[in-house]
Amino acid sequence: MSSDTVSLVPSPVVSANGIFKSFGGVPALVDVSIDLIPGEVHCLAGENGCGKSTLIKIISGVERPDSGEILIDGVSHSHINANAAIKSGIQVIYQDFSLFPNLTVAENIVLTAEVARRRRLYSPASVRPKAEEILRDLGLDLDLDREVSELSVADKQLTAICRALVNDARAIIMDEPTTALTHSEVSRLFALVERLRARGVALMFVSHKLEEVLAISQRLTIMRSGRQIVTGPTTDFDERSISHYMTGREVDESRVVSELDATAPLALELVDLSLAGAYRNISFGLRRGEILGVTGLLGSGRTEIAESLFGVTPADEGQIKVNGAPVRIRSIQDAVSAGIGYVPEDRLSQGLFLEKSIADNIVASSLRSHRTRWGTLSRDAIASTIKHYFHGLKINARNAQAPVRTLSGGNAQRVVLAKWLATSPTVLLLNGPTVGVDVGSKQEILELLRVEAAKGMSVIVISDDAPELVSSCHRVLVIKQGRLTHILEGDEITVDTIQERMSA
Amino acid sequence: MSPDTKVRNGASGASALLPRVNDQLESWTQRLVRGSGAHRGAGRMVVALLIAFALFTALNPRVFLSPINLQNIAVAAPEIGIISIAMMLVMLTGGIDLSLVAIANFSAITISMLHNTIAASDPALANSLGIVIVLAGIVVGMLGGAVNGFLVSVVGITPILATLATMQIYNGMAIVWTGGTTLYGAPQLLATIGQTAVANAPLLFIIFLAVAVLIAILVNRTALGRMIQLEGANPVAARYSAIPRRAVLMKTYTYGGMLAGLAGVLFLARNPTASADYGASYVLLVIVIAVLGGTNPTGGFASVTGVVLATLTLQVVSSGFTAIRLSSYEYAIAQGVILIAVMILDAVSSTRARRQKKVASAPRSDVPTPETALPRA
Repeated sequence: MSSDTVSLVPSPVVSANGIFKSFGGVPALVDVSIDLIPGEVHCLAGENGCGKSTLIKIISGVERPDSGEILIDGVSHSHINANAAIKSGIQVIYQDFSLFPNLTVAENIVLTAEVARRRRLYSPASVRPKAEEILRDLGLDLDLDREVSELSVADKQLTAICRALVNDARAIIMDEPTTALTHSEVSRLFALVERLRARGVALMFVSHKLEEVLAISQRLTIMRSGRQIVTGPTTDFDERSISHYMTGREVDESRVVSELDATAPLALELVDLSLAGAYRNISFGLRRGEILGVTGLLGSGRTEIAESLFGVTPADEGQIKVNGAPVRIRSIQDAVSAGIGYVPEDRLSQGLFLEKSIADNIVASSLRSHRTRWGTLSRDAIASTIKHYFHGLKINARNAQAPVRTLSGGNAQRVVLAKWLATSPTVLLLNGPTVGVDVGSKQEILELLRVEAAKGMSVIVISDDAPELVSSCHRVLVIKQGRLTHILEGDEITVDTIQERMSA
Repeated sequence: MSPDTKVRNGASGASALLPRVNDQLESWTQRLVRGSGAHRGAGRMVVALLIAFALFTALNPRVFLSPINLQNIAVAAPEIGIISIAMMLVMLTGGIDLSLVAIANFSAITISMLHNTIAASDPALANSLGIVIVLAGIVVGMLGGAVNGFLVSVVGITPILATLATMQIYNGMAIVWTGGTTLYGAPQLLATIGQTAVANAPLLFIIFLAVAVLIAILVNRTALGRMIQLEGANPVAARYSAIPRRAVLMKTYTYGGMLAGLAGVLFLARNPTASADYGASYVLLVIVIAVLGGTNPTGGFASVTGVVLATLTLQVVSSGFTAIRLSSYEYAIAQGVILIAVMILDAVSSTRARRQKKVASAPRSDVPTPETALPRA
């Protein structure tokens, strides 16, 4: 791939060469090659579901490639296991950081290295200096004695980076490291990345945020649909060309939003809704047929608001009205009988019965409305519901009896959507509706929402994907630290404004 | 639902017929299995049942194929089979109920006690009240199950611990109540049921099959049954799909208790004695049967047909061991070996399933579109 430049720079710590990987016959990686070179930040960019995570898993030994080789310090391995990868100094910092929340910062930093050294006894006194040394080296200010569960997201991330370094990391891979950070925290992270680079660590940054990609990296690889589209020095790219490579088309910021009837009645109304520790005094109305975006950073309270509306974690105070009538939502059953449906954030564990068939999943929430007068289920009614949604939502599978686990992200999401549409909800909440869904499917799912909204369903899309909000929402609410800070309408709804309001 | 009768006729007629019967059965069960929505268990249990039957026929045809032995299998299987179906039902939710046998005994003791108490003053009245007394036993079973359901769903105790505790309680109560003695006496009605046969099939066996059909309908053709399956398949997704967990678990354990109560009735129908320590070995046997029959121990999948076949298989093995003069200890060894063998088969197939499961969780592109060749720098 980069053979022309290899001679000029230090030899790579890790290289992946001609990696192929497919899951159940569907290619996830097709001939991908990548080098991690000491002192260089290599950015891996691509949309959700393009194969970035699979590549990380293969480099860190979690997944085994179908073919291709991993070279560590020039030594070829057809595959490596996770322990060997860590021993060779390859560290991955995942989005959840994999820290022990009940241990202190110092313990988290040092413990895994101690375990790896097969120490049988652990002495707090002897390990502390090591943790302190790392902090001093990196010029970081962290309270070593605090429990990790009390830390902010950014500090947790720093702890994870320190831990990687104690384990003699020579290559650090960070998976979407900035997703949950504020602007100032991002700059702090970038400063640290520069120091790591100076120490000769090879870094890989996985991101889909264009400005970050341009700001931090020296080399850039862009992936799309499992293929390596382009690799080259970051200076050769600009935002436009990156997004072009990522999506395979010009970025579509066009809004496809129907004219909303100004006299349409309110389907949902929130009055001063509060939940201690999550959000405060949230009030807004949602019209019949409206698509409303709710955005904010991870941990801003956007998910908690949705989960309160759906009865997962009921609100402490305030009022919820559906179609003008106050409703009490203390449980999920309350929410569903009030006409609220919820497509959850974690589709695989919360939304789907993976081992069950598509058909079983589609009727999972509407079983009671498919009964005959004998109390048994009506086969005909069920069959017609399944047929309606299986074809209507273009679920791509051989037949409706296939287990859901065989489906791709986009198709699985359609099944969750079908499950809720089958309950004919007044309001449908969708949390990250297109996460892990490819571009084509994404547009189709948004189009489905537009169609349902036009038929009179009200939709709330909770998302941090600005282009998606721009393309589908009548209005966008911005949540920051548990408060509703901005309501964007009409021309105000652009990718730039949303991102700025979200993190400012 | 009566493949066993076919096997029996075919095999007793001439063992050369076996292959043909086998083929016919295979396709027949396959269709049945597909129809009932069961995915596993039934098919392999047909094979296991035929192997067991052929093996013992070969080893000692004179004793094993004797009408009395076959009759015994058909009479002994129902009580174990019904408890196994109850076990299957709770395991379908991802739970377990260790107290089922204790409930069955409690039901039998209740019936015997009521009958004896009434009969002491007026024997004729006791017999005319037979049906009421029997129903009382079943109601006691339902109550026992409801207590389990309450502990599991409302209080939130892990099923294995909750039902371990109630097993001890029901068992202890039964011993205290009976003073540890064996009770003799049951309504005449039960003796009649125990001795009746319809076209050579014991009524007990017909009751067993009827229960199996009803539970199969419950599991596959009612909203409750589907909810039970979904709750077991993924409790988190079930919650997010507005499936009323408490009500579902409550009903499941109550139905389980009711079936156990019915099994208690069958105990008495077979033999008009009741004691607190009857069928102690059943507790684990019914788990073996449920799992053999294709019940996923973590919940979500089960096959009533599979459980019926597994019941018959183990009953065949049990009576076969007697026919070739092996002890109940050797039968216990065989149970363990059969269970492990099936678990190994399951482990092999579920590793395969897990490998495929990663497909869904691994992030990847939806549609592998052929890329328009873009240049790599």
